[in-house]
Amino acid sequence: MSDLNYVGKSWRRKDGPDKVTGKAVYAQDVKLPGTLAGRILRSPHPHARIARIDTSRARALPGVKAVITVDDTKGIRHGFVETPRYPADQEVLARGKVVYVGEEVAAVAAVDQITALKAVELIEVEYEELPAVFDPVEAMKPGAPEVHPSHPKVTDPYANVGGKSETEWGDVERGFAESDYVREDRFESHLRTHGYLEPHVTLAHWEGGKMNVWTSSMGAFVKRAKLARTLDLPYSAVRIHKTYVGGTFGGKIDLYSHEYCAARLSMITGRPVRIVATREEIFSAYRHGQPLAMEIKTGVKKDGTIVAQQIRVINNSGGFRGSGVVVIFLAWGFTMIPYRIPNLRYEGFSVYTNYPVRAPQRGHGAPQIRFAIESQLDRIAEELGIDPITIRLRNARLPGEALPNGDNVHNAGLADCIKVAAEKSGFLEKHGRDRRSPPQGTIRRGIGIGVSAYMGGTLIYPNGSAVIVKMNDDGSAVVLTGAIDIGQGSETVISQIVAEELAIGMDDVKIVSSDTDTTPQDIGAWISGMTYVTGNAARQAAGNARDKLVAVASERLGVPVGDLAVKDKVVYSTRDPSARMTYREVIAASVATRRGDTVIGEGYWRTMRDEPNHPSLATTKGRWTENYAFSAQVAEVEVDIETGEARLVKALTVHDCGFPVNPALVKGQIDGQISMALGHAFMEEVMTKDGYTLNPNWLDYRMPTIHNMAVSEDADVITEQYRVGQPYRTKEVGEGLVSGILAAMANAVYDATGVRLNSTPFTAERILYGLKALEFKAKQPKPKEKVGA
Amino acid sequence: MILFDFELERPDTAADAVALLGRLRGDARLLAGGTDLMPNMRAELVKPGVLVSLGAIAPEAPATLPDGSLRVDAFSRLADLERSGVVHARAPMLAESARAVGGNQVREMGTLGGNLCQESRCLYFNQRHDYQFAARCYKLGGERCYPFPTNKRDTCWSVYMSDVAPALVALGADVEILSEAGGRRIPVEELFTGSGLAPLALDGAELIRAAIVPAPAPRTGWAFHKSTVRGGLEFGMAVIAVTLALADDGKTCAGARIAVGAVRERPVRASAAERVLAGAVPEDARLAEAAAAAAKEVNPLPHHGFTKRYLMDNIRVHLRRTLARALERARGARG
Repeated sequence: MSDLNYVGKSWRRKDGPDKVTGKAVYAQDVKLPGTLAGRILRSPHPHARIARIDTSRARALPGVKAVITVDDTKGIRHGFVETPRYPADQEVLARGKVVYVGEEVAAVAAVDQITALKAVELIEVEYEELPAVFDPVEAMKPGAPEVHPSHPKVTDPYANVGGKSETEWGDVERGFAESDYVREDRFESHLRTHGYLEPHVTLAHWEGGKMNVWTSSMGAFVKRAKLARTLDLPYSAVRIHKTYVGGTFGGKIDLYSHEYCAARLSMITGRPVRIVATREEIFSAYRHGQPLAMEIKTGVKKDGTIVAQQIRVINNSGGFRGSGVVVIFLAWGFTMIPYRIPNLRYEGFSVYTNYPVRAPQRGHGAPQIRFAIESQLDRIAEELGIDPITIRLRNARLPGEALPNGDNVHNAGLADCIKVAAEKSGFLEKHGRDRRSPPQGTIRRGIGIGVSAYMGGTLIYPNGSAVIVKMNDDGSAVVLTGAIDIGQGSETVISQIVAEELAIGMDDVKIVSSDTDTTPQDIGAWISGMTYVTGNAARQAAGNARDKLVAVASERLGVPVGDLAVKDKVVYSTRDPSARMTYREVIAASVATRRGDTVIGEGYWRTMRDEPNHPSLATTKGRWTENYAFSAQVAEVEVDIETGEARLVKALTVHDCGFPVNPALVKGQIDGQISMALGHAFMEEVMTKDGYTLNPNWLDYRMPTIHNMAVSEDADVITEQYRVGQPYRTKEVGEGLVSGILAAMANAVYDATGVRLNSTPFTAERILYGLKALEFKAKQPKPKEKVGA
Repeated sequence: MILFDFELERPDTAADAVALLGRLRGDARLLAGGTDLMPNMRAELVKPGVLVSLGAIAPEAPATLPDGSLRVDAFSRLADLERSGVVHARAPMLAESARAVGGNQVREMGTLGGNLCQESRCLYFNQRHDYQFAARCYKLGGERCYPFPTNKRDTCWSVYMSDVAPALVALGADVEILSEAGGRRIPVEELFTGSGLAPLALDGAELIRAAIVPAPAPRTGWAFHKSTVRGGLEFGMAVIAVTLALADDGKTCAGARIAVGAVRERPVRASAAERVLAGAVPEDARLAEAAAAAAKEVNPLPHHGFTKRYLMDNIRVHLRRTLARALERARGARG
C-alpha cells in the first residue's frame, strides 16, 4: 500500500521534546513530602552463614524510622522464572545465609541519607564464612562448595546445577559418522553489564491501603505482580505509576530487593521511602548479563552443509536461579533458528556460584552462542576451502521452513540478508586481502560476517497486551496503553498506528501509558514484542473506534459502510465526497443516538492465538512465536599488529525486520546495538576477584564513547507489509543485532591478523599475544600434516 | 553523594589558604576543581572535616618570564591550558597533556595543581568499602594489600596516573610550592615520593602555586602519547612524554628526556633510554633500542587489568613511535 500516512515513516519521537528540554519525569524526579531515605545493608562475604543479626543499635539511632530484616517479611519468594519446575527461589532479604557479595541482608529508612548510612553501619551481623565457588565448571564438580542443592530433576552427577535444558533430534552419532569433516571448539564469553545511565530508583508510598510505586522498570505489570505477591497484597492494592526510564537493556526486569524494601519500609513508617542504587552497588551487587562457556562439535559435508551439531553450554548463574535457566534454553533457540541442523544434541547447564544473580541482557544468550557458532563456521569454511558467504547460504533457512519447535519462519529473509550483505560490503573482494598481501605499516584490515535470528513477543507473563482508544468529542484520541517507553519509542510507534488507523494527526493522539491502575495490561518492554503485540492491540483498538465512527456516519448519511472512508478526521462517501461528516459531528451523533456512546475502541493481542503456554525451558518443547527476524552483519576492523589495538571501523547490518513502522527508530536500534557490541568486543568487562567486583564504576568499566562509534550502515530486506485494518507482522529489531556483529568482529579480527580468539573480549593483549604465538609457530619446523577434509 | 558532614572555607588569597591549612593541620583538604577529591570523598577514601576551596582565587594568566621560561598558575583550569595561545606557543606538550585528561567537563573543572596532586589509584582502593574489601588496605591505614598479598606494610603499588606530570617531567619543569614560610621552587620530579602510600612529597600545609617550564634548547622536539582502551574519558594504561634535542649538526641527539606515567607510583624518568640516545644519531634502530631499554627500566606495575608483560610491550612500541615524532619535530624546530 502506498497510501500510508503515518506508519512506515520516520515520525519524530513523541517523548523527544520532553527529554531534551528536561521536562521528562524519571523516578528520581518524583517528589513527595516527608520522603525517607532508604538504604540496604549488603553481605561482605561471597558465602557465609548468618549466625545473628542485631538491629537494636540501628533502631535506637535518632532519625531512623524503620529497620527490616527477612524476619519482617512474609517470607514469600520470587524468581525471574516461576514455574512448577523452577519455582520462585529467592527471598527479598537473605535468610540464614548469604550466597554472594552484596546480597541484601537488611534495610533501613531514615530521615536523610547520612542517618541511613550510619544506621546501616550500626546493624550487627555475625557471619560464619563458608567455602565459596566462582567458576561454574568447578562448581559442578561433586564435592564443590554447595551454593544450593542441584535441581532434583537433574540426574547428572553434578553439584550446584540450578537447571538444565536438554533436547535432541535426528541421530547425532550417525550424523557425525556421515560427515566429511568434524571439528570441536570451546568458546567463552565474559561478564558484561547493561550500562543503563539511569540507576535503579524506587519511590514507594503506602497510603490509604494503596501501595503507590514509582520505579525504573521495563514492564509495570510484571513489577506489580511480583511486588504484590511478595508483599502479600492483592494486585489492586499496588499501583505502579508511569515514569520515564533512562535505559534498561534487560537489567530492570524482575523484582529487585530494593523495590520490595522501599515498599515494606513505607508500609511500616507510613511515609514515602526512596531507595536509589549507587553506581557502585549496581556494578557490584546488581544483576549483570551471563557469561557462557560453550563446547561445540559440528559435522559437515565437503560442501559445507551442516549434518550434525552437538552443543554443551554452561552458564554462571550466580547465587540464585535468576534468568540462568532461561539463557541456557535461549542459547539452544538461537542455535536452531538461522541454519538447518538435521541432527542436533543440545544440553545447557545453569550453575550456581557465589556471584550476584544474573539477568537478561540485550540478546539474552544470542551474542554468546552466535559468536561461538559463527566463529566455528568460519574455521570450518576455511578448512574446506569455502568462503564465508557460501557456507552460510548453504545452510541458511529459507522462507516457509518449519523449525524443530513447530514454529514456521514464514517470510524469512536470511538468504537475502546474506547476499545483500556480501554485495554491499564487497565482502569477497576484501576477505583475506591483508593476509594474502600485507600492506605497508602496522595496520591490518579485516572483514568478517555473522548471522543471527531472533524471536519476537514470546509468551510469558502477562502474555498479552490490551489497548483502549478513547475518542475525544473534537475527534482527537486518548490512547490507554500499558506499554512502557524505555527509549525504544513505543509511544511514538503506537501513536503512528493509531493515527494511521483513525486517519487523525500525530498531535491528535495523546498517550497515557504504563500505569497499572489506569492503563490496560501489557507485556512490557522486554521480550522484543511490543511493536508486534501492543502495536497490533493498538491497531485493533483504533480500528474498533473507527468502525464505530463509520457505523454511526453510515446511519446518519444513509451511505452503506462499505462506501465510506475516513480521512483527516472526516468520514466521507467514496462515491459522493459531499456526503461527509466530521468526527466531531459523528461523535456528537453517537452520543445523541446511541445512548451516550462516546466512541471507545478496544483491542488486544497475543502472540500465537492458540498456543496455551510458553515453551518448556527444560525440554525446549513448545512454540515460541510466529515472528522471527533474521539478519546478516558485516564488520570491518583495523588492528595494529605491533600493539594488538583493534577497533571496529565499519559495520553493515542487513536485516529482515518485517514492516518497519518507524524506520528512524529501527535505525536507532541498529546503531545502538553496533555501539553496544563494539564495547562488548573490545572494551567492556566487569572484572572480579573471588566474587568481589574490581571496577564498579564508569571509569574502569569502559563503555564506548562517541569517539569510538563506527560507521554503521544498514539495509533492510522487507518481507512484510502493513494494510489498514489488517493484522501486520513486525519482527524483532531491538536486541538480536548485538549478536551477528559480535561474531563478525571476531571473524574480522581473524581475517586481519590470523588470530582466532575463542574468548571475548578481544583485548589488545589477547590479539598481540595471538600474533606472537603465530610468529613463534611460523618459525618452528613444520610437522608433517595430514591434508584433506 | 558525600555521606559525611564537612565545613567549607573560601579564602581570598593563596596566602590565606596556606595559613588556613596550617591552622587546621591534617583535618583540611584543598579543593581546587574537585575532580579527584570529590569521588574520593564519596567513596570515603578521605574524610576531611574542612575543605579549603581555591574557588575564590582567580588564576593569573600564563606568562613568559625574563629568562624565557613559561610560568603557569597552578590554579589554572586544564581547559584554560588547552585554550591558551601562550601555552601552545611556549609549551605545546603541556597543552596536549592537559587535553588528554578526562573529558570536557573534567578539564573545565580540574586545575593544573589539582591534577599534579591527584591521589594514586588501584582497582581495590578506588571504591567504597562498605561490603567490598571492607577490611582496610595499607594505603587506608589497614593491614593488608589486596592485589599483592605478599607486599609488606611499607609497599603500596597503586599507580600515579596524572597525564600532565610526565609532560612536565619531560619538559624539565619546576613547580613553585607555597607554604606559610613562603615559596620554594623544586624540580617537578621532586614532587613525588615514589611510594603509593602517599605519592606526594608535600606537607599538608603546602600547595602548588605554579609550574615553570624552561625555554627549550634549540632544535628540540617533543611528543606525547597516552595509551588507552577507548581513547578518552579514562586514565592511561601508560602515558609517555618525550623531549628530544638535536646537536648543532642537526643529526646527533644532544639529549632526550623521557618520562612514563601511569605505570608506577610516580612518573618515571627513563634515564637508561635517554643515555642510549644522547650523543647518538637517532636512527630507527636506535629509537627502538631506547624504547626497549625504557620499557625494561620503567618496570611497569600491572594495574587496572593490564599485565606487566603487555604494558612493557605497549610502552616499547608507543615510546618508539613517540620518539620518532619528537625527532621529526626536532628536525623542523628552530635552530
